[in-house]
Amino acid sequence: MLKPLLLGVSLCLALTGSGFATTLTAVHVETDPGERALWDRIGKDYTAQHPDITVQFQYIENEAFKAKLPTMLQSKDPPSLIFSWGGGVMLAQQQADFIRPITAAVQPFAASLVPTAAKAFQSGGDTLGVPVLMSKVAFFYNKALFAKAGVKAADIKSWDDFLAAVKTIKAAGITPIVVGAGEKWPMHFYWSYLVLREGGADILKRAKAGEDGGFTGPVFVDAGKKLQELAKLDPFQPGYQGTLHLQAAGLFGDGKGAMQLMGNWLVNTQKNNAADSKGLSDDNIGTFSFPTVAGGKGLATDALGGVNGFLVSKNAPKEAEDFLRFFSQEKYQKEAAAKGYYIPAIVGTGADVSNPVTKSVAEDLAHATALQIFFDQDLGPSVGRVVNDISVAIPAGQMTPEDGAKALQQAFDEQ
Amino acid sequence: MLVTAAVFVPPAVLLFTLFVVVPMGEAARYSFYNWNGYGVPKAFIGVKNYLQLFANATFRQAALNNLLIIVASIGIQLPLALGMALLLARREIGSVAFRMIFFLPYILADVAAGLIFRFIFDGDYGPVSSLAQQLGFGPLYMLAAPGTAFTALIIVIVWKYFGFHMMLYIAGLQGIDRSLYEAATMDGAKARQRFWHVTLPQLAPMLKLSVFFSIIGALQLFDMVIPLTGGGPFDQTHTMVSFLYSFGMGRMRIGFGSAVGVVLFAVSVLFAFGYQRLLMRHE
Amino acid sequence: MSELRTLQSPYGLVGRDAKPRRWATLDLYPPFRLTVLLLVAAIVLLPLLATAFGGFKEVGELRTNPLGLPHVWHWENYWAILSGARYWQVLGNSLIVAAATVALTLGLSSMAAFAFAHLRFFGEQFLLTYLTLGLMFPAAAAILPLFIQVRDLGLLDSYTGVVLPQVAFSLAMATLLLRNGFRQLPSELLDAARIDGCGYIRYFLYITLPLSRPILSTVGIIAFVGSWNNYLVPLILLNSTALYPWPLGLMDYQGQYSTAWQLVLAFITLTILPAIVIFVAAQRWMVAGLTAGAVKG
Repeated sequence: MLKPLLLGVSLCLALTGSGFATTLTAVHVETDPGERALWDRIGKDYTAQHPDITVQFQYIENEAFKAKLPTMLQSKDPPSLIFSWGGGVMLAQQQADFIRPITAAVQPFAASLVPTAAKAFQSGGDTLGVPVLMSKVAFFYNKALFAKAGVKAADIKSWDDFLAAVKTIKAAGITPIVVGAGEKWPMHFYWSYLVLREGGADILKRAKAGEDGGFTGPVFVDAGKKLQELAKLDPFQPGYQGTLHLQAAGLFGDGKGAMQLMGNWLVNTQKNNAADSKGLSDDNIGTFSFPTVAGGKGLATDALGGVNGFLVSKNAPKEAEDFLRFFSQEKYQKEAAAKGYYIPAIVGTGADVSNPVTKSVAEDLAHATALQIFFDQDLGPSVGRVVNDISVAIPAGQMTPEDGAKALQQAFDEQ
Repeated sequence: MLVTAAVFVPPAVLLFTLFVVVPMGEAARYSFYNWNGYGVPKAFIGVKNYLQLFANATFRQAALNNLLIIVASIGIQLPLALGMALLLARREIGSVAFRMIFFLPYILADVAAGLIFRFIFDGDYGPVSSLAQQLGFGPLYMLAAPGTAFTALIIVIVWKYFGFHMMLYIAGLQGIDRSLYEAATMDGAKARQRFWHVTLPQLAPMLKLSVFFSIIGALQLFDMVIPLTGGGPFDQTHTMVSFLYSFGMGRMRIGFGSAVGVVLFAVSVLFAFGYQRLLMRHE
Repeated sequence: MSELRTLQSPYGLVGRDAKPRRWATLDLYPPFRLTVLLLVAAIVLLPLLATAFGGFKEVGELRTNPLGLPHVWHWENYWAILSGARYWQVLGNSLIVAAATVALTLGLSSMAAFAFAHLRFFGEQFLLTYLTLGLMFPAAAAILPLFIQVRDLGLLDSYTGVVLPQVAFSLAMATLLLRNGFRQLPSELLDAARIDGCGYIRYFLYITLPLSRPILSTVGIIAFVGSWNNYLVPLILLNSTALYPWPLGLMDYQGQYSTAWQLVLAFITLTILPAIVIFVAAQRWMVAGLTAGAVKG
């Protein structure tokens, strides 16, 4: 009785009518217009060779994407290709049976993928996705403002050096750090790096296994304390707790602050979001790695970063994998590198990275002793968000480092 | 007669059952599971979601915020609406125009209102901050600290809804029998006494109704919070519904979020029944 | 009941008042009264004007000239939105969803209301109370299971999936309002019609509905405004930007251009414009509809 009724109504209302040809929809969060134009063009090229297949790249704003993804995957018509950072979020999607393993399909071109990047999309012998780009979180600084304050980036090796530099810059009347804490995750880079530097590259793995007190162990409490130390210097731009990440990028591009801890995409977002749409010129931007902490197990070369790629949803058309192969071709990814859009996860494209800042990040990445993916992705949807929560609450004095660590352990136990 | 009833009633009842009653029942069931929304709920955990919920500082803050919004609605919005109603109830030049202006925000979507005021209170580009700077104060980042962000939320609520309540009061005022005032005047009542002894008692049904809407509206507030503050900074400006969305849906904790829904439901229904029994019995 | 009468007439609140009610008002010294009113009106209107004008400014001017008219009118912000497909698409989606919501709400609730008003049948009182429960139901409380429900029916990410829950949530108020309205029609009419051999369904179609236009329009306005402004239900149930109604489209746009306030302001202005235009054109019906629904429901 009910089904026919609903069917009737849906027939009346369904004006969306999917066409006869196959459409591959790829959802992603990349904002750079040049990069998106390139991706669209790759899609068109594919259609040119396969006329019955249309490829549609659909941009969704980062926060909205993370919030919508669970519902998106459950709709009757989920996107074929899903942007992913790997990690616990991807594993949750695998467990829920919303993505399909693509091991065999990737095999023919697996050798062209950067191994560390490819690893981020593997789980228990299965390949779940194809990496597209890699990023590293590092400090990016405004050379002119550093010079004005008399601070040398090369001298910042330890956390204490860093705090001293922040004080010097502030004393020079310059906002030391710009951060988009309104969206929380930009702040979680600080807490994550402190945890990495304190506990070493395998710290998350050990905490998950409950070693050394799990997430309530001294490493996690101490990271919170150091973050508080930094916040006490009042180093952030006014109103930082309400600033969104693109706004923060724009402020950096406007020269409103000396540095920002961000993924290397900042090189582009600071341009696109600056008030004059130009931002800082490439030769005015420098970069240095997150400092080490005294007595910590982590190395300066352990990198926090991301590997972004595409997963294939469970019932995607069979052409999805083939398109990923097409998409990963060297000629396209070399172009992305040459035009400075991102650091491709394709072997042999590193030399093509044209942007000098991005290039130095790419070299760091190539020589990194470890690559830890973003904590909020690694730890999965529910626990990862708690990392973000405490990363803004601790420096704001809303939560003690101990309570923050406890909240994290609790979320981990409850998931 | 029966045939007609058998045709006319079921569609509405069915749809209502399917999309309102069943989901609420399901919420009650899911709230006893640890479930991420994929597949079917399996991990039965009893009342653990509720225990976690009541121990959750952010939820307690959200519930407190709901209460504070109710207090502000009654303490700020109601007097403002009543004052404007008293100024505009009579037919005078411009009265209708002012009524329309004050009512206008009510027809706008909460989302639009929230976003407009995100701009108004923006520390870098918003008018409030610019004015503060021109007056010699520093830039004002109202949305960047919990206290001021919550104040901003209250301002937007009053801005958007006082005109609606004013209209209710005007309707009420226009319905008061004029002979009551004449009798009061003959008994020597001054304007102030007439207000307290005639206007206010006569307006009581409308006031009760208006308070009822304020409270139900406050309990359901969501659309405005998301664009204005997103619940931040540090989740201090959530309402129960925005908490439910961010912590239930956004984190794939359907069981936990359902527990929030059940609490919200219980509060709303208890309130609605209680309020009607205690205060609206005679109408 | 007297306040109900005022509300039923669409002229009560916004047109000529039947009689000036001198005693029920606050008598202030007229210039002072006007000052107070102008001040409040300014507070109400300035944010809207700052938004509309902001859409014409360059981003830097927002800071230097927050409330004034733009020094140079940058029409291109508005033009870019008006000439793009996105704006028309989100408005179109909202219109489709709202129209379907209104049609279904009116259809289903008027039928149910007719039965509750005129027919005696088993379980009548129970069913009416059951539907009335919906008045106290915060839609948000069941939003997660609603999502699961709509998913299981395979209606996620479709207009239907948004329309049906919206209708379901507006049924309680609509049925109650219409039942009260139908009951106020003279009962002699029904008796006469029955004697003439007119069936209930024909009576419903040819007598009840035509005579109940005011209350039907009230219900229609409430359902339309509710759907037009709805954010939570489509937020949970839609994914494709191609299906987004305007509140979602607005948030989407803001997420993408969060650093270009002038564009966001132009987009806000253009998306709220239809509501404002309709409000100004049909203020009497809008105010009467929205407040009457509140009072009588």
